[in-house]
Amino acid sequence: MATYTKHHCWSLLLRLFHWMFALSIVFLVVTGFYINDPWTNTMIEGSAAWPMANMRYIHYLAAYVFSAAVAIRLFLYIFGNAQERILDILPVTGRNINNLFMTLMQYSYISDKHDERLGHNILAGLAYLFTFIAAIVMIISGFYMLFPEAPFWEGWGLALFGSQQFARYLHHILMWWFMIFAVIHIYLCVWNDVKEPEGLISSIFTGVKFKHKA
Amino acid sequence: MADTVNNAVEPRLDRRGFLKGCTMAAAALGLSEAMIPKMVEAAASAERPRVIWLHFQECTGCTESLLRSSHPDLARLLLDIISLDYHETVMAAAGHQAEQNLHETVDKHPFLLVVEGAIPTKDNGIYCKIAGKTAMDILKTVAPKATAIIAIGTCATFGGVQAAAPNPTGAVGVQDLVSGKPIVNIPGCPPNPVSFLGTVLHYLTFKKLPALDKLNRPLFAYGRRIHDHCERRAHFDEGRFVENFGDQGHKLGYCLYKVGCKGPETFSNCPAVRFNDVDVWPVSVGHGCVGCTEPNFWDTMTPFYERLPNVKIPATGIIDSADRVGKTVLGVTAAAVGIHAVVGIGKRLIKGKSEE
Repeated sequence: MATYTKHHCWSLLLRLFHWMFALSIVFLVVTGFYINDPWTNTMIEGSAAWPMANMRYIHYLAAYVFSAAVAIRLFLYIFGNAQERILDILPVTGRNINNLFMTLMQYSYISDKHDERLGHNILAGLAYLFTFIAAIVMIISGFYMLFPEAPFWEGWGLALFGSQQFARYLHHILMWWFMIFAVIHIYLCVWNDVKEPEGLISSIFTGVKFKHKA
Repeated sequence: MADTVNNAVEPRLDRRGFLKGCTMAAAALGLSEAMIPKMVEAAASAERPRVIWLHFQECTGCTESLLRSSHPDLARLLLDIISLDYHETVMAAAGHQAEQNLHETVDKHPFLLVVEGAIPTKDNGIYCKIAGKTAMDILKTVAPKATAIIAIGTCATFGGVQAAAPNPTGAVGVQDLVSGKPIVNIPGCPPNPVSFLGTVLHYLTFKKLPALDKLNRPLFAYGRRIHDHCERRAHFDEGRFVENFGDQGHKLGYCLYKVGCKGPETFSNCPAVRFNDVDVWPVSVGHGCVGCTEPNFWDTMTPFYERLPNVKIPATGIIDSADRVGKTVLGVTAAAVGIHAVVGIGKRLIKGKSEE
């Protein structure tokens, strides 16, 4: 019978970030699909249903939550606790490179060995970092489309995307990354929870993980 | 109104037409009524600015739309307030005489340069030659001596159809070749003549070019999205869409968003100024905007009847809509996840549960 000790892993701010990010993405994807291809048609004139106006309104509200979440994550990458800082997930130290290798071996069923560490494994950390960068592109392209005449967004939007239409195109394609990411993310969290009973899933609610007693 | 008595042939511009043209330009510029006399005075001054109009890779549609506007006063006003020293379509001179006019103005006088058409740059620009010289060479000689340059039409501003992928002649707009000169871009295919006239009159009245956006387009004409001034906008917000051309929604004048209108990503004054003095523009007659005032519109706004460009995956020949590609990738991901889970379960069944 293995014995475990309780470790505080995720700060309240990180958990807040996670759920703001996850829930806003759900709303953004659903309303985003509607905005791109409105599947309803208001047949009765004068019904004042305003489905497109409402969907866009929800999309913008969710977008502000999403932007705030990304700002929180940026803060935590720099000022967070040991597990939350960016250096913890970059394959720049021997220990981290080894963890990346071992995670790949374990995920491909080649090895059963699990590199025990408190925070993200490096593969997950890199996937989150990529998603974080994709989120920043979504924010810039989104605000460029929302405020095309504001000099700040016009300047950044034109420099990065060249035109409104290309920003829209990129915004749409990157949305698929968030859906693909969600599928893999949820699957691997469950998978890890099955493989290693360290309380991975509950840790994003409680902030606490369990580790083998040394 | 149609020009039934052929007023366009009458070379003189009457006072009424002159004032109407100036007022129209003032309205497009968003100037107050008090500015109109000043503009009229500037336009009527004896010293007419010299203009050289160069044609490169183009269809002459911009010139045609300017000269053949149903309201002939606009074109006549323009020809009256400027001294058009060189314009291949309308000049009387030909051959060496025309060339001489060009060189005399370039060498001896200050002038405004108007460029219509893209400039091919590939293979030293041999794909467009006039009088034995390439478009690149002509621009290189003329542009540095101009006081200011107006690039008219999408070809001269962003390369236009010639610059569409794969851009076989390496066509570019004026701003890609000329630096150190004030350049005003008046894109459109064709642009509204009022936007061009407004820019010229602004220059004459205030001795400077109008305020520009970051793509060097005058803000008075390109400061707003078409979508934000569209007469069908209420249908968009209310979710009333044309599903197919000719359906009931189309007959009732609903929003053209679902049949590919690019109004939400295009900047122009079309809904406000409209064309040909008969108050029409594409959306008002039931066709979506194709986004002709935007950079690379032939590449990014096509297919014209879809919302987004297709995804092209290099080396596979796959060209499909972003959503179908996305669904496929998501499906493959889900399948991979399923296979991964099955392999894990299989391995456990074979090797037995590991001890914790």
